[in-house]
Amino acid sequence: MSTAIPTAIQAAIAAHRFGLGEPELTPIASDPQAWLRAQIGPADAPYSAPGTELQPSAAALKIQNDSRRQVNQGGRDDLREVVVTDQRARLATAARSPRPFAERLVMFWSNHFTVALNKGASRGLVGAFEREAIRPHIAGRFVDLLRASTGHVAMQRYLDNHLSAGPNSRVVERSVRRGREAGATPARLTGLNENLARELLELHTLGAAAAAGPWGPWGGYTQADVSATAALLTGWRDGFDANWHEPGDKAVLNRRYASGAGALDALLLDLSRHPSTARFIATKLARHFVADAPDVALVEQLARAFGESDGDLATVYRALIDAPQAWQPAAIKLKTPEEFVVSSARLLRLGERIVARAPDAGMAAMGQRLHVAPSPAGWPDQAEEWLGPAAVWQRVEWASRLADRMGPMVDARALAQASLGPLLGQASRQQIERAADAPQALALLLMAPEFQRR
Amino acid sequence: MILAPAFLRRRHLLGAAALSALAPLPGLSLAGTARAGDARLVLLILRGGLDGLAAVPAPGDPAFASARGALGQFSEPTLALDNTFALHPALAQLHALYGQGELAVVHATGLPYRERSHFEAQQLLESGGHRPHELATGWLGRALAGSRGQAIALQSAVPLVLRGPAEVDTWAPSAAAEPAPDLLARLAQLYAGDPALAGALHRARDLRVSGVSLNVPMTAPMNMPMSVAGADMAGAAPAMAAAAPAAAARPPLIHTLARQAVEFLARPQGARVAVLDMGGWDTHANQTSPQGALTTNLRALDGALALLREGLQAQRLWPKTAVLVMTEFGREVAMNGTQGTDHGSGGMALLLGGAVRGGQVIADWPGLAPKDRFAGRDLRITTDLRAVFKTLLRDHLQVASAVIDHDALPGTAGLATLPLLRG
Repeated sequence: MSTAIPTAIQAAIAAHRFGLGEPELTPIASDPQAWLRAQIGPADAPYSAPGTELQPSAAALKIQNDSRRQVNQGGRDDLREVVVTDQRARLATAARSPRPFAERLVMFWSNHFTVALNKGASRGLVGAFEREAIRPHIAGRFVDLLRASTGHVAMQRYLDNHLSAGPNSRVVERSVRRGREAGATPARLTGLNENLARELLELHTLGAAAAAGPWGPWGGYTQADVSATAALLTGWRDGFDANWHEPGDKAVLNRRYASGAGALDALLLDLSRHPSTARFIATKLARHFVADAPDVALVEQLARAFGESDGDLATVYRALIDAPQAWQPAAIKLKTPEEFVVSSARLLRLGERIVARAPDAGMAAMGQRLHVAPSPAGWPDQAEEWLGPAAVWQRVEWASRLADRMGPMVDARALAQASLGPLLGQASRQQIERAADAPQALALLLMAPEFQRR
Repeated sequence: MILAPAFLRRRHLLGAAALSALAPLPGLSLAGTARAGDARLVLLILRGGLDGLAAVPAPGDPAFASARGALGQFSEPTLALDNTFALHPALAQLHALYGQGELAVVHATGLPYRERSHFEAQQLLESGGHRPHELATGWLGRALAGSRGQAIALQSAVPLVLRGPAEVDTWAPSAAAEPAPDLLARLAQLYAGDPALAGALHRARDLRVSGVSLNVPMTAPMNMPMSVAGADMAGAAPAMAAAAPAAAARPPLIHTLARQAVEFLARPQGARVAVLDMGGWDTHANQTSPQGALTTNLRALDGALALLREGLQAQRLWPKTAVLVMTEFGREVAMNGTQGTDHGSGGMALLLGGAVRGGQVIADWPGLAPKDRFAGRDLRITTDLRAVFKTLLRDHLQVASAVIDHDALPGTAGLATLPLLRG
């Protein structure tokens, strides 16, 4: 594959397009594809700064639940500590990782399965969700990732499933009876909340048919499937609580699922094997790594790899690495603010120091608040979404502040050559060489199209 | 500066597919969109699907009480509009505007879409198409084809509704120090081969050089989301506090954006069209609580619209202004199992301004009884929301009918406009 493209260019593409940027390309140069393949596997244990602790979801949930009382009593806010520690850990881990391709996959999947802290019910759980549901499963079977996500308390709370009760469940019956005995008070619990069910089908597995464009077919479900999925999901609220579960069989996509906890695993397996899921995931991966509007043949190839391997993600990643379309030298994708921040940190070998001043390293101003995706659909993965004048301006401001601090300590000309190699164009090289001073040279490197895109 | 104007105008073109859908030559579009004097249009997009029956309940509908149950009981009295309709108690300033004939309500309205996905419905709300993703640019962007600097989006990215052949500016609060002018000049050269980055940087500089207050009082914290598209954000408010403590006393971000919109619209040669965005309307749970997200957001909306009016009035622009408040869909009529509502179809839109023929509710009211609902669940859509868009384009912005029917809202030639505007 891609033998026509010189290895030096391939090394730079591996580092920037598949990874998060490298300060030098020599370690990759001998075999860029092998460098990537060797990174496929579960993500490494996340980094946490000495003296800080990454809370597992049970502990984080307890802190979250205690938080209001704690703050009202004027005590310290442990929940804020959890949120900030998780933010720092995410960026520091990515900035330090020797397996940046794996970290990119963590970013991809935690965006695919979005949980955000702008919902009170999941506020303290976003980091724990990434560590428990995403990181261990990025290179296994898709269904295991899907089960880990859907089964996680953070997802269940983010999309309201912890509140959704079967209309004929014991908990509703009891609540109605008590309400009646108490007089006028209406029953607090009455039935379904479709939020998780809809997004499970639309955003996590089958996709929305109408959004497929040339990359589909996606989708293929109806409102009745959404309602039945919601009924099937009742009871999943930090583990399975049969009292909340809707009794009786449910029919989703023409298959019957018996009442009880076992139905969810069966449904998720069927969803993971649905051809729409293969196409939808293949499109999103190709869009994330290769192009905003990826080649349809590439998507077909990835979908085939997904289908034929029964959703083995490692197989899909290898198909992506083997695809010539992924190695075209022209950099089309614009980095997200997070990718920009992390790749800047790696370029300058800052490691965890990137979060020394702000837990999100200042990326919020560029339009991306870490762990606060704007909707369950996650952050957009197309350049136009990040190219508003205000957003680009904020990138310049950020780059210029970092360059003022770091510029005097580095040689941006050498850095540009070592990191971008043959991808560094003549025009950018000249601009960096002719810069008025070291900070300006570094700012120009950080803002060069070759560094902004990948 | 080595930017050819052509770069700037084409900055938001979205590829061959979008172009072929647009068909007409830029020259023709220009001819069709004559600049309509001083008319100002503000679009406020409520993302997440506002419950139209919560914002504008219909207590006069005989089925209202039984259909809505606890959702129909408000902690304070609703504010009557006529014998059928009322406003949510948190919309007191809007109620006054209705009394002054400056607010009209369009009810039982929606898009040509009967599914329940936020993302598809928002795509349609902004693209103006018949099916989601059939059009890749926005109806307003296409209506403004060929113009430059006529529209401003009060968020960091250009929203879909404004994308298209028009040059659009964006603005978001910024508190940082300015990068050195020399660096900016060099970056402009660096972007000679990257029109997208070049155009964005060029417009950002223009906005700053031409006198927009850079150091906006940071009434909203920097780390508030600029856009909260479609989020299920019922718990949003406390989360902000977690990320930015001491946020309690701050006014809502939408108030800052409304004030800034006034400033842009009042500038000589400034924008005629401003687009604002407000999230947090996806109320799957706990909708009835007086301290809940819905009431809080409605109150913030009421305040933001009052600020717009006050600011534009002071600039003598209010008589020429129309403000459209719209959302991607309504919600189910009945309460779900968690004291909220799930995604539905029919909802409401608000139109206000001095240019608006207010004091009326425009609705071909379908009724709320189960048999009258769409799929037994939703308020039935009897007024195509695109008729409102069409009215604003034709009668307010004076866009030529041919441009509307072919470019801005293709396939709506048979759709009648509504008597929403004065004059």
